[in-house]
Amino acid sequence: MELLTYTFIQYAFLGGISMAILAGVLGPFVVQSRQSIASDMFAHVALAGIGAALLVGVSPWWGALPALIIVSTMIWRLLDSGTYSPDALAMFFLSGGLAAALAFVHLARDTVFSFENYLFGSILTLTSTDVMAIVLATIAVVGVVWYVWYPLLGATQSPRYLIPFRRTPKIVQLLFFWLLAIVVWVGIKTIGGLLIGALLVIPVLTARNWASSFKQLVVLTTVVSVLSVSLGLFAALYVDLPPSSLIIGMTILAFVLQASVAAAISKRSSG
Amino acid sequence: MNKSVISVKNVTKAVGGRQLLVDVSFEIAEQSLVSLIGPNGAGKSTMVKIILGLDQQYDGSVTIRKGELVQYIPQLVMDDQYQLPMSVYEYMSIATNRLYSTNKKQVDFEQALSHVGVAGEKLHQSYTSLSGGERQRVAIARALLGDPTILVLDEPLAAVDYASRSGLYKLIRHLQQDHKMTVLLVSHDIDSVLPLSDQVLCLNQSLHTDCHPSQFTAERSQYNQTIHHHC
Repeated sequence: MELLTYTFIQYAFLGGISMAILAGVLGPFVVQSRQSIASDMFAHVALAGIGAALLVGVSPWWGALPALIIVSTMIWRLLDSGTYSPDALAMFFLSGGLAAALAFVHLARDTVFSFENYLFGSILTLTSTDVMAIVLATIAVVGVVWYVWYPLLGATQSPRYLIPFRRTPKIVQLLFFWLLAIVVWVGIKTIGGLLIGALLVIPVLTARNWASSFKQLVVLTTVVSVLSVSLGLFAALYVDLPPSSLIIGMTILAFVLQASVAAAISKRSSG
Repeated sequence: MNKSVISVKNVTKAVGGRQLLVDVSFEIAEQSLVSLIGPNGAGKSTMVKIILGLDQQYDGSVTIRKGELVQYIPQLVMDDQYQLPMSVYEYMSIATNRLYSTNKKQVDFEQALSHVGVAGEKLHQSYTSLSGGERQRVAIARALLGDPTILVLDEPLAAVDYASRSGLYKLIRHLQQDHKMTVLLVSHDIDSVLPLSDQVLCLNQSLHTDCHPSQFTAERSQYNQTIHHHC
């Protein structure tokens, strides 16, 4: 427990729990919209932004944010045109982002830089400025989601459920992409670009059988997410494994536990 | 003759060289109950999108009388196993303004539900636990929240079992007669909408039949041939 008195550990918990809240609040909307792969696509786009930032000599993490906002707007526009299928666009930006990132980093000639911190997270290296930005981003995203709750719920439904709104949901869909871009931006600094998708999706799958409304689902998902991050970080204090692996391991454990309980209940009620 | 609330004149639409609609014209009178029928690919969805103003790339003209408010009720989905939990309250809230106060919303939702014959206590139940008939009624209740004068129902009986159909017929007729609404039913299944219709529009790219439903009953075999041939 003495480890908890270290500032970098406290920052890790603050940043991690903020990330968990972000993922818990937005995750159900991501799964509902059938765009789980979008987080991975955005993460690769963020890598291109990081590379571009290195090239022009600004902070890589901050460089990722404008890249994410610009490209998420482009993706929204392309999806809206109906010309390209979502999976083809995902692969376009996923691979394209990675290729651009490699080229930018090569051109930057930065021999010290490592993508690994952004691919798998570096939660134990958060600074006070990072934590401040993450907490502010969390407050902003949760506030916006609360404010546009029902429009967002409508805009992320399966198209077969959609009703033609008198005011088009398109603008809400763009907002949803921006919110997801911010979550991925926080994710690359904490849990890692390649792992943020797991934190967005697995807690939703864990909670879905235990909720009867979307609001309940968001609350349960956030609880699962916060518990997974907290337990994963605690475990990282005592086990020599990367915190991100332990956090995602906890989400998988929670999923397996609930699935076992659900199966046992189902067996008892049918027997 | 009542005045028309929807007037479709010489509507033609083609996409990529394929004709979706060819010179379609019809009028829908106020407070009438009209069915637009035709097989899959006949252009029904395209026609509905044009009437709703969601598709403006066409030749011809569609006029909705000034002051009329159209609400669309999409076809129900019953087999979506990936749908995440959603309460009836949330389903109905999707269509409403966020600035609606919670108390007023609760009262209005319960009133709308009781109006369509669904118990108020279902409001906080899971939407996916409802039967097809109940879901269709809830969809109508949601549409009523917007105080429409024209209701467009897409395949309103497709997911509804036969036992629940007569109740829905009564409800739709009640909305048309007692609430002075104009109702447009869109379906590929003439048997499901015929008992309810004042007028039947048979569409297959162009309009092949525009008639009173009694003609269908009286000359069923002839029209069946017409429908099978054209629709």
